[in-house]
Amino acid sequence: MTGLGATMVRAGRRLLSSLPALFGVLVFTFLLMRVLPGDPAVFFASGPNAGKEEIEQIRKQMGLNKSVPEQLVFYLSDIGHGNLGRSMMTGQPVLKDLRERLPASLELTFAALLIALIAAVPLGVVAALRPGSIVDHGVRLFCALGVCVPTFVSGLLLIYVFYYLLGLAPDPTGRIDVFTSLPPQRTGFLSIDFLLAGDVEGWWAACKQLILPAVSMALFVIAPLARITRASMLVSLGSDFVRTARSVGLSWRKVVVTYALRNAILPIITIAGIVFSTMLGANVLVEKVFSWPGVASYALDALLSSDYAPVQGFVLLMASVFVLVNLVVDICYGIADPRVSIG
Amino acid sequence: MRFVSFRPASSVIATVALLLVANAPSQAQTRAETLRYVTGASVNTLDPNIPGSTRESFALSMSTYDRLVAFGRKQLNGKWVFDLDKITGELAESYDVSPDGLKLTFRLRKDAKFQDGSPVTAEDVKWSLDRCVTAPILGKAQLLTGSLTSADQFKVIDPFTIEVTLPKPDKLALPNLATVYPMIINSKMAKEHATADDPWATAWLKEHTAGSGAYVVETFKPGEQVILKRSEDWNRGSPDKPAFFKRVIVQSVPEPATRANLVERGDADIVVDLQASDVQSLEAKGKLKVVSTPQYNAITFVSMNNQMPPFDNVNVRRAIAFALPYDDMFKAALFGRGAPLFGANWPDGKPLNGIYPFQAPVKIDLDKAREYLKAAGLPEGFSTTFSFNVGQASTAEPMAALVKESLAKIGIKVDIQKLPDAQMSTQINEKKLPLFTEGIVAWLPSTDYFYRNFYTGNQRWNYSSINNPELAAIAQEARFEADKAKYEEDGRKLNAIHFSEMPQIPLWQPNQDAVMASSIEGYTYEFHRQVDYRDVSRK
Repeated sequence: MTGLGATMVRAGRRLLSSLPALFGVLVFTFLLMRVLPGDPAVFFASGPNAGKEEIEQIRKQMGLNKSVPEQLVFYLSDIGHGNLGRSMMTGQPVLKDLRERLPASLELTFAALLIALIAAVPLGVVAALRPGSIVDHGVRLFCALGVCVPTFVSGLLLIYVFYYLLGLAPDPTGRIDVFTSLPPQRTGFLSIDFLLAGDVEGWWAACKQLILPAVSMALFVIAPLARITRASMLVSLGSDFVRTARSVGLSWRKVVVTYALRNAILPIITIAGIVFSTMLGANVLVEKVFSWPGVASYALDALLSSDYAPVQGFVLLMASVFVLVNLVVDICYGIADPRVSIG
Repeated sequence: MRFVSFRPASSVIATVALLLVANAPSQAQTRAETLRYVTGASVNTLDPNIPGSTRESFALSMSTYDRLVAFGRKQLNGKWVFDLDKITGELAESYDVSPDGLKLTFRLRKDAKFQDGSPVTAEDVKWSLDRCVTAPILGKAQLLTGSLTSADQFKVIDPFTIEVTLPKPDKLALPNLATVYPMIINSKMAKEHATADDPWATAWLKEHTAGSGAYVVETFKPGEQVILKRSEDWNRGSPDKPAFFKRVIVQSVPEPATRANLVERGDADIVVDLQASDVQSLEAKGKLKVVSTPQYNAITFVSMNNQMPPFDNVNVRRAIAFALPYDDMFKAALFGRGAPLFGANWPDGKPLNGIYPFQAPVKIDLDKAREYLKAAGLPEGFSTTFSFNVGQASTAEPMAALVKESLAKIGIKVDIQKLPDAQMSTQINEKKLPLFTEGIVAWLPSTDYFYRNFYTGNQRWNYSSINNPELAAIAQEARFEADKAKYEEDGRKLNAIHFSEMPQIPLWQPNQDAVMASSIEGYTYEFHRQVDYRDVSRK
């Protein structure tokens, strides 16, 4: 228990020490949005009769009538009060939008990462066991294919084959069939909420909606995961302890899984953490193709229409997620290799 | 190669598909009574008056709220379109226009009820119209175009009669009341949610409806979907009965290819904003109903900044007008899906009629273009930029390439500029673009309205920044012209000035391609360019 307590204290300290970085991100994004060309007020006042008066009014509504330093002060004090501003696009508070959309993105990213890991680790291990063999080349080819096909292409292809041609997949729009009623919201993860509500049919519906987008995202990240697995397995298979383990006649399974893989897992965790953070932000194309109501497509729409508040809110969210993921990665390190502890 | 990840995935999909097929019949029954409409953008407010509201929000408000009056419909080349000249009652049972054209009297239906069950009274109408011209909302600028500017103009005569007074007989006053903004709100409900800062309850109405319309909002998820339920009391449609569909789902599907797939697979019932190439292939397959209507209140054009050299020289503008490869552009951008506004034949060199937009006698003629350039003193040509916004890239990009290629032949070097939408609108507002393409839409497509809004004044919608006192004077005069023949004459004059000054070059009216299941009937092209859910029914 003391070990866990110490870990928690250290984790807390790590979180605190990341606050300056978050603040920097906050100010930087704020300034960046202001120097981008394009006046959001003019864009939003695009009704057939919107004139100067309407533009001024929107400017006031968005707080753009004040000087940039003043705006920054107001913005920071708003953030201090937990207010991320209001989106012009959806008309909702940004915090509410992000809170509703983050679970969708997280669920998709987790599912994709899970699929990618389930596929990539065995592929990497198999390739490492027979380096240079036909299997190794096969894995390399598969990885190259996955990484060179952009997610929106694989997404559209999957939709074309599984939805349009075969009719196996449900229509690729959003997280759930529009005719299914939603479970009471607890975690925001549909696949969990349906189970909590005891609605198996709904759970199926949510899962099958998740499969195609998750697979198209997973395909893209299998390559880095499989390559890292292969490389670190090669190192670990060639090391002294594996040779020793083999020489004392342990079973093949025990040697590969318990000794080699356990020691090769650290770099895989690191890469998985990085892959997760990038996927969360970068899955915008998948979210677009599958009309997935996630944060990335929300941020892109906001960026295109110079809707400042959502973009700033999104960047802050991503920075926080990145900090959290790094922390989780470090904790996982500690579990996988007790010699490493976070500090 | 081993596709390890595919096997479990596809077998799960197969199992699930079996489950789906098993319970398909029970779903089918509710499907028949549900309209699923997929769009590219999303409904972002329940009150269309909020700055920044989308077209999808306009369509939604048309069926959650009623207005005093509505546009009728007419057939144009066999397709149903809204009719600007036929105004019918919606909440008004009947209306009168006084002989001098200064007083409009509306008698309300006595059986009309708001969705909370309370009757619609003249007080509610007065409050709603007052809100429209007083509150800082979009309706204000729109109603201005119909001489409706102050709350004093609306007078309650008795609980079911309201009178509107006009300073001048304005033929756009009545049609303005049929547009999106002057919807009639349950004033009692709205007042309960008004605050000192927000006396017109704009914040509350953005997320709540208090209307008397054909549909009630069931769930509203901005950016994703809106689900509507039919209001059984509503009887303002033409056959005096509730709207056809029991439920309407308006869903945002940003990817156009996915929208096309959905409607083709029969999962969506109707979609309007597809890519021209998808529409063409869906039409060729012949399984779906495709209703293509030229957007007769919209125009795509190439505009030039008339205040900026060298486009301040009329001969340069004429040179451009005769150097554009119209046919190729029309095919590349729209696959020919629309009504061309070029290549007309004016036998005596005069406009054929006073209707705007008109088909101009321009076609590609590089020799003529070179002559005009010489007359402008620029025989060697010049360099310029051609801009368009990212949002229109699918049509504007191929166009831009053709413009560049063709203008190069007469010595004009063109740099193509693809701008993010917000940046493009800012540059247009600041009048910084020399040569660009844009599209415009007018809700009330009458000649004088087009000319006043898009060709006069130092304002954003005067894209070409033309400053022609004669044109401005005629357009102002025509607004209040009651005599039809004189109005037509004014229109001809305006069109003649347009052609000789060539401030911008109208190209075409793109089609609105509505693709729908073959069982859907009654689709009408509406002024807001969205599907009015009340129009459609299933066979």
